[in-house]
Amino acid sequence: MRFTELTKMGRFVITSELGPPKGFHIEKALHESEIVWPYVHAINVTDNQSSVMRLGGLAVCKMLKDKGIEPVFQVTCRDRNRLALQSDILSAALFGIENMLLLTGDHTTLGDHKDAKPVFDLDSVSLAHMVKKMEEGKDLAGNLLDGEPPKFCKGAVVSPCSEPLEPQLFKMEKKIKAGIEFFQTQAVYEADKFEKFMKRVKEFGVPVYVGIVVLKSAGMAKFMNENVAGIHVPENLIEELKKDKEKTKSGQTGVEIAARLIKELKPLCQGAHIMPLGWDDKVPKILELSGIKAEK
Amino acid sequence: MQKYDYTKYRFKPKAEILALLDGYKKIYIISCNKCFNELTTDAEPEIAELTQILNEGGKTTAGFMPVDFLCNKFLTEKTILNIKKDIAAADAVAVISCGIGTQTVAGELNVPVLTVCDSLDQGGQHGISLGLQKCGACGECYLSLTGGICPVVNCSKELINGACGGAKQGKCEVSKDKDCAWENIFNRLTLQGRQDLLLSQPPKIRNYNLNSAEIIENYVKNIQAKRNEGFYGGIYPEENKELTSGKAIQKIKYPETVCIPMLQNAGATCEPLVKPGDKVKAGQKIGEAKANISAVVHSSVSGEVISVEQRRHPLMPFSVLSVIIKSDNKLELDPSVKSKGSLESCSKDDILLAVKNAGIVGMGGAQFPTHIKLASSKPLDTVLLNGCECEPMLNTDNRLMLERPEQIITGLKLLMKAAGVDKGIIAVEDNKPEAANILREKLAAETKIKVAVVKTKYPQGAERMLIKRILGREVPRGGLPLDVGVLVNNIATANAVYEAVYLGRPLISRIVTIAGSGVANPGNYEIPIGMLVSDIVKSCGIIIPENFELKMGGALMGFPQSNFEVPVIKGTNGIVVVQKKDVLREEACIKCGRCVNVCPMELKPHKLVYYAKAGNWSRSEQEGVMNCIECGCCEDICSSKSEMVEIFKKSKKMLREMKINANNRS
Amino acid sequence: MLITEVKKKENILPFIKGKALFIVCLGCKEVYFPEKEYLMLKAELKTAGVDINNEIKLDYLCNEDYTKDRFAIHKNEINCAETVIVFSCGVGVQVFSGLLPDKKVIPGCDSLYVPGFSGFTPSSYDCGQCGECVIGITAGICPVKSCSKGLLNGQCGGAKKGKCEVSKNKDCGWEKIFNRMAALKENDGKLKSTIKIRNYNK
Repeated sequence: MRFTELTKMGRFVITSELGPPKGFHIEKALHESEIVWPYVHAINVTDNQSSVMRLGGLAVCKMLKDKGIEPVFQVTCRDRNRLALQSDILSAALFGIENMLLLTGDHTTLGDHKDAKPVFDLDSVSLAHMVKKMEEGKDLAGNLLDGEPPKFCKGAVVSPCSEPLEPQLFKMEKKIKAGIEFFQTQAVYEADKFEKFMKRVKEFGVPVYVGIVVLKSAGMAKFMNENVAGIHVPENLIEELKKDKEKTKSGQTGVEIAARLIKELKPLCQGAHIMPLGWDDKVPKILELSGIKAEK
Repeated sequence: MQKYDYTKYRFKPKAEILALLDGYKKIYIISCNKCFNELTTDAEPEIAELTQILNEGGKTTAGFMPVDFLCNKFLTEKTILNIKKDIAAADAVAVISCGIGTQTVAGELNVPVLTVCDSLDQGGQHGISLGLQKCGACGECYLSLTGGICPVVNCSKELINGACGGAKQGKCEVSKDKDCAWENIFNRLTLQGRQDLLLSQPPKIRNYNLNSAEIIENYVKNIQAKRNEGFYGGIYPEENKELTSGKAIQKIKYPETVCIPMLQNAGATCEPLVKPGDKVKAGQKIGEAKANISAVVHSSVSGEVISVEQRRHPLMPFSVLSVIIKSDNKLELDPSVKSKGSLESCSKDDILLAVKNAGIVGMGGAQFPTHIKLASSKPLDTVLLNGCECEPMLNTDNRLMLERPEQIITGLKLLMKAAGVDKGIIAVEDNKPEAANILREKLAAETKIKVAVVKTKYPQGAERMLIKRILGREVPRGGLPLDVGVLVNNIATANAVYEAVYLGRPLISRIVTIAGSGVANPGNYEIPIGMLVSDIVKSCGIIIPENFELKMGGALMGFPQSNFEVPVIKGTNGIVVVQKKDVLREEACIKCGRCVNVCPMELKPHKLVYYAKAGNWSRSEQEGVMNCIECGCCEDICSSKSEMVEIFKKSKKMLREMKINANNRS
Repeated sequence: MLITEVKKKENILPFIKGKALFIVCLGCKEVYFPEKEYLMLKAELKTAGVDINNEIKLDYLCNEDYTKDRFAIHKNEINCAETVIVFSCGVGVQVFSGLLPDKKVIPGCDSLYVPGFSGFTPSSYDCGQCGECVIGITAGICPVKSCSKGLLNGQCGGAKKGKCEVSKNKDCGWEKIFNRMAALKENDGKLKSTIKIRNYNK
């Protein structure tokens, strides 16, 4: 089901995320998805996330679909030019994929193939624009598509806790103009900042699903503060992680924090996107703890 | 060679320009003189073209400024400062330039800066000259494998493992006008008998991360810092100082005959005081100063005067009256050679007289009479000793500082007393750390004299550059160091002043660096004034290799000598043998911008050449040719092999003559 | 603008046969030519047994006319060499080998790119030569070059503390643009209303 329809129906949209393996043996990933599926509306499939080469997102989306699990097809502009992107979008339509997340993508130098040529023929805005054109029955060069055009629910990313915030808001507005219909955000750990952000974007009238990244350790939090864009883990959470090392190691602290955040942020937005970063098995726990489950 | 026009930009379509300028009424235009095409005019037709477009769009111009090399941030900053008022009166600035020039302007202004041009894709880097070949700057040059044809710029797909299947009749699928690069490569390798090279190589994959932001940004920052250190411009020629930096001063075997010119100074020729047959002693005055700006001349040997006649001069294109003396090998000193006192016992006037009577001139090469400088009526506060010796290969000042530091320092103090100042500085380039240390040691107790170590860059040793770097003062254009209260002297001059006072010894010998290819016995020699280069060639075992030449002076600014029957004079600091520059004919200026990058006087040498050739002397003067210090940086770097120093010397001469004529008429 | 880095010994050695002639292009030496590294490599190659028959220091090899003249002046040295190694940017090597198509001419350097067109001091700004200049609406800063990804529609999500995700030493180009727009009190209306897609076919 399209997210925009869910939001219209008043549902708090909950999604999780899956990173394909570096190989083509997919059983484990599918199994974990099956466990998470009852709790969420859809599962995002990442596209060579962090510029690390992985199994193709389109193929994994198809496998999920075959299992009756709703995928979100993530598309970045780093690896493919406009021809390949349009091709893949059409392939997604062929597989019945409805929700997609359109991103620019991390630079190649961040990943494990640093020598690769970064493509960036398009970016998130022009990609959204291109998909909209296709939905109207034409490709980017203006040629008519054969038969019924595809129809998607197009999403993008925004970083509510970015400093400065203005450039992000600018881009968000531009993305909406280009046809973006929902946003999944970068991880949020500070309710006040998020509230400020939501006030600013209210006028856009587009649903925002807040991003939740599970904190695995104090070290991870500190690393993210130093190195990961748009993320800031406040001191009190780092202290909480440090306090009981065993609890943190078992994942319980991270789960508790995530659940608390979802509860706290729920009233401010239209959904939550959980990024377990490998801890897929903890997603059900988090949602149970927060008392929120996907109403399908 | 066919010259390609590598102009970097063209106008946007008119409609787009007007759309961009929508909402702005009064526009100030800055236009960049396009680089990389032949300099055929200094007019800027684009300004008129844009003005017309603006008028058609109902806009007005608040003014315009044509600029050379807008991308030269340092100079552009200064230009913009000058026009800030006019810009303030405008709503926006339109820049006719490539993207680099536009951004440079935008970086300097707080008003909207709009570009009315699109940059053109050159399809690779074309290097300096306007030739066809380009380089892809891939960072992993494949030319070894392709017989010298670059696949990155010449193959439309940038393939590096061989041809794709798209070529037809030798032409690329992209265009019938474009050769298939890989067919050319195959043909070339076949010609060289290396065609199996392609098969034997493993598959190649490009590494796109070589032009990494990190590496390039650091590189750019370092080079920008280095270039602008101390003063704008300048060059870093190969120093080659190691040839003689470790060689202590040694006496050369005195010759049988010396030829002493009556002109060894800036100013007037002396009148000989001796005639053939006269017996002379070493240190005896043999040439009298007949004008104010002149310096007396002494015999450097004892012996008999053979003749007084016109002889070849190392610097002048004309012959100069010279005294030829046959040495008696005794080196008997003239009675006048006796101590005049000391720093404490001599008064200011005593020192001045001693310097004058010793015939001391600037020994760094300019040869200006020292006593005249000292007696200046301008208010002075500092004596600066120039120990930079920025010319490649030379070590005379270096060795003097290392071996006779106390004499140098005393000489400096004498100069300070004579000039009536109480501050002294010895400037040393940082390629002479030992000299700087020794001087610092000897000056440890001194409060009034200090050592200033400056970064090595040619022409750091030029007075203007030194004064700016060390004292932060700008010698006014057309002015002298004396105008800003500074007296500049050479290290060897300070040494000569010491000897003149403490030993009563006039300027009859000097240290000369002899070095270069084919010099069997390089070193720093103490040589009598008047010794012929031909005798030195014998003494030092010099055999000049093919394609090399002998210069008197330094490797850069020295004077090449075709005839060795010329004497060492007071200003001769070196005799060097260097690779002859291949004689290449001058080509048209292509506005590569390198001369503007290196001129320490911040002039536009390419324009000065243009005006000289056009006989436009008033523009030459406006553009500051009189401020040229003839350092030769522009000529050294010129990609069209223009003999710029010669041209500027002629321009200056022309302007001086015109002024004299104008004065005479009025 | 081009800068050169001397190749590693292993990348040159396999191609040298017989007497070698070293041609050094000093036209760009002010910024580009790595003299120290060249001397080290020369010593390494000598130790590895390369017969360095001659070394000629020239300049502006990229100028075909001059290079032709130089061939005449130095024809003896060129004729008796079996391999000519040219230490210059790719332009110089191609000109040289183009004039000697039947001789083995190999590069001694790799060329890299620094911003700037004229002079030889690299400029602080760069131009992407895209042919569709947008600087007028991006507060005077080129997004193609100052953004590592060459984005034209605004910032990606990768900047941290004003620095690009590619390098902590590199500013986020789009933040620079926004900051300057704010300082100039320029409105971003034009930027917002147009979606820009590059035309690579210029």
